[in-house]
Amino acid sequence: MTDVGAASTSRRAAEDPVLSITALNIAARRGDRDRTLVRDVSFSIGAGQAVGIVGESGSGKTMTARSIIGLLPPNVHANGDVRFAGIQLSGASERALRTVRGSRIGLLMQDRFTMLNPLQTAGTHVVESLPRQVRRTRSQARAEMRRRLAEVGLDPDLVARRYPFQLSGGMRQRVALAAALAGDPELLIADEPTTALDVTTQDEVLQLLRRLQQQRGMALLLITHDLRVAFSVWDRVLVMYAGSLLEEAPADELMAAPEHPYTLGLLLAEPPVSHLVGSLNPIPGSVPAADDVANTCAFASRCDWQQPQCAASRPELTPVSDSRASACIRLTDIRGQLRQRRMEVELPVTPPPPPTGQPIAVISDLRRSHRTVRMLGRPETTVALNGVSFQIVEGESLGLVGETGSGKTTIARCLLGLDSPDSGTLRLAGIDVTNYRRLSRADRHSVRRLVQAVFQDPYSSLNPAFAVGTTLREALGVRGRVIDPDRQVGELLALVGLPASYSRLRPATLSGGERQRAAIARSLALQPRLLICDEPVASLDVSVQAQVLEVLRKVREQFAMSMLFITHDLSVVRQMTDRVIVLRNGDIVESGETPAVLDSPTHPYTIRLLESLPGHTTDARPGNETEPAEDPRETNSPAEIVGGPDRAGA
Amino acid sequence: MSAVTSARRSRPLILRHRGRLPILVGVAGALLLLVVACVGFGQWIAPHDPSAQNPLLSATGPGGGHWLGTDRLGRDVLSRIIVGARPALVGPLCIAVASVVVGASLGLIAGYRGGVIDSLLNRFADLIYALPALLVAVVVVGVVGGGYWVAVLVLIVLSLPGEIRLCRSATSVQARLPYVDAAHTLGVSAPRIMFRHILPNIMPTVVATFLLDFAGAVVGFSSLAFLGLGVQPGSTAWGSMLADGQSLITINPWLALSPAILLILTTASVTLIGDWVHSYFAADRGGR
Repeated sequence: MTDVGAASTSRRAAEDPVLSITALNIAARRGDRDRTLVRDVSFSIGAGQAVGIVGESGSGKTMTARSIIGLLPPNVHANGDVRFAGIQLSGASERALRTVRGSRIGLLMQDRFTMLNPLQTAGTHVVESLPRQVRRTRSQARAEMRRRLAEVGLDPDLVARRYPFQLSGGMRQRVALAAALAGDPELLIADEPTTALDVTTQDEVLQLLRRLQQQRGMALLLITHDLRVAFSVWDRVLVMYAGSLLEEAPADELMAAPEHPYTLGLLLAEPPVSHLVGSLNPIPGSVPAADDVANTCAFASRCDWQQPQCAASRPELTPVSDSRASACIRLTDIRGQLRQRRMEVELPVTPPPPPTGQPIAVISDLRRSHRTVRMLGRPETTVALNGVSFQIVEGESLGLVGETGSGKTTIARCLLGLDSPDSGTLRLAGIDVTNYRRLSRADRHSVRRLVQAVFQDPYSSLNPAFAVGTTLREALGVRGRVIDPDRQVGELLALVGLPASYSRLRPATLSGGERQRAAIARSLALQPRLLICDEPVASLDVSVQAQVLEVLRKVREQFAMSMLFITHDLSVVRQMTDRVIVLRNGDIVESGETPAVLDSPTHPYTIRLLESLPGHTTDARPGNETEPAEDPRETNSPAEIVGGPDRAGA
Repeated sequence: MSAVTSARRSRPLILRHRGRLPILVGVAGALLLLVVACVGFGQWIAPHDPSAQNPLLSATGPGGGHWLGTDRLGRDVLSRIIVGARPALVGPLCIAVASVVVGASLGLIAGYRGGVIDSLLNRFADLIYALPALLVAVVVVGVVGGGYWVAVLVLIVLSLPGEIRLCRSATSVQARLPYVDAAHTLGVSAPRIMFRHILPNIMPTVVATFLLDFAGAVVGFSSLAFLGLGVQPGSTAWGSMLADGQSLITINPWLALSPAILLILTTASVTLIGDWVHSYFAADRGGR
């Protein structure tokens, strides 16, 4: 059965694929039992092809990539057939794998902070990765290293002698790319290479990857959770979900006419950046563990078209046309409906006029800088906020957009009393909250009831030692007069669409989206008038992002709350805010009503932000050769030197 | 279909945790239970009266109803080490409890508050670290007088810095996590954040340091007893018995060896259990 799938894939790939994987199964040993992580995956990549694997957390995409080069974590084992350029990699000895790794298969990993050795310069990283078969003198190696750094768009004079901490995130990713390409691999595996980067940088790195892949005729396997990334540049996309491959198709066809309900759901869940929609379309439920759906259609439990036969056995990825394959057994019945659903464009809603009224928060001339003390040399001062002033009107939702180090999180922390500005004033409903410590007890109490927050990382914003109910009861207790805690906790959970039984569960047993909803429930316990949302969906799976956004929209409407919505994602800004402020290096560069700013931006930086949305760009961008190396001053952004105040990388 | 990789880097079977209790930890636990029984019910367990002298049987080897022989005054060695568990272990237990309560609290405050309090506590820890601990104990106990509780007090102060340091670093890791920010934003009071929110999350560290403190205190306390400090002459504390036994080592080696072996086994068991507790809870919290 799998042979059918494999045969068709290899037909679609080149005659002689560089990489072919057949019936790959990966399992983790837990106690006395194997838990499935990846089930029966087969695909191949032809020479010079760029293939993307798209999947949410737990889909097994990273494990699949790691198994190719034999870098699975301890206690995880794989079986199946992995062939690379005629070499059998499955079952090969560590020694044999080492001759392939690095030199013939390059690897680019996600975490730009830990991927590079902090004690080695950028140049050393590249020199170390040059092929060892070729004997080089020191100066030859250096010349080669400089050439390699230039190839990835870095200025060797500026970068070669710098250490990773002196480079910005995008520059680090480029250095890592130069090192991964140093052995002139035939296949490059890139695991979420742009996930931790700012949007504009992300775009640059993707363009670079694509260009180098074409110039070198190298095969590329890109792994990402972001559909837009996969669509922007890749030939062929594989959709993975809960350990199974669900669909395989050329990128443009997949985007236009998905042939699996899950792919359709993913496409529809993405909030549009071009217009406001009345309601977002989340996929109900959450991603199951691969082990729980090992013998059924992985998506059946969340599928609108699910029928008993879907759960009866596990559907294989079967070719449905020359270039496509789908694992939906009902495809012939529902294809028409899938097409129709895809065509039904969510009608644009006229954005409501932004509320006018009393300001609930007044921020004037806020300044904040951070001092970094060096062991040697003078302490360095970096500016996070450079005189920022704005207001939030009662009932309004204000978006705050900016990249790492733009100071957007610092504003939120100052408003919440987690940080104090150097100068300027902050007023919340008439109370001066510039310095929380100077507030009287009564004032502090009323300010706490005025403003609450939802933080970015739902994995660490709930106390792991407490059950959800305990956390909520504590929040209710702060408000005072808890008459019937069980009922009130149940009501809070209902507000965010969670059953009351969740109050007994610890955060570790919840999925990311459920945790974030519990965190929203906590922030609602005090019935705040201003809710600060700091990247509330940035670390969530695509299919549940829309759920959380919908919850936030609903509660805002219900309680007529004001919102300060901090995000880097312009489509989220479009859906969630009335007005938007664009921050750059601690300065406001543009502000105005959301539709106006997004439809006709005036500041060059805003324009660049909009253009760099994956999928927004065109492939043939002029001036690739003259692409400037990043501004080295960016290394001075506070977040990258002291690891704060912006915790985007949490 | 062959295995692509099967990298299995696991701990040695004897220390493996989760699921089953590792064998070694089980043995250590059983041994500790035995020792605890001696602490509680030593007088009743001991086969002989530990202070009954028998001049006819002075310093004999094992045999004749005395499994471990007798000491210089003809007292039964086995009974003496059983009864000696109490003076040897109650002091260290008090030391460990007091230092974990005080040290963890100070560590929490230092790690959460930071600033001046943190610096002061750290300098205090530095200062104590710089002192030759046992020497200080010898001098203080020697000068102030040989009281048992004086020795306990001195050892509590000396074991504080380690406790403070460990809890401080564990706390400062937690204090940076968003759940602490969230509690702060809700208006939860600082003591409540420290003791209700952070403390449960650093509990593995606290429990492990408690057990390590206890092991250290057993050794430290016995060292003092060996030097005749903090105990009455003729005490059954294991440290004193070790001192008594050293001159008779050729005649009845068990007199010195049995308290020594018990000391080693007790501290090793406690350390082993401490390590296991830490890794057990760490694994429990580890999963996202």
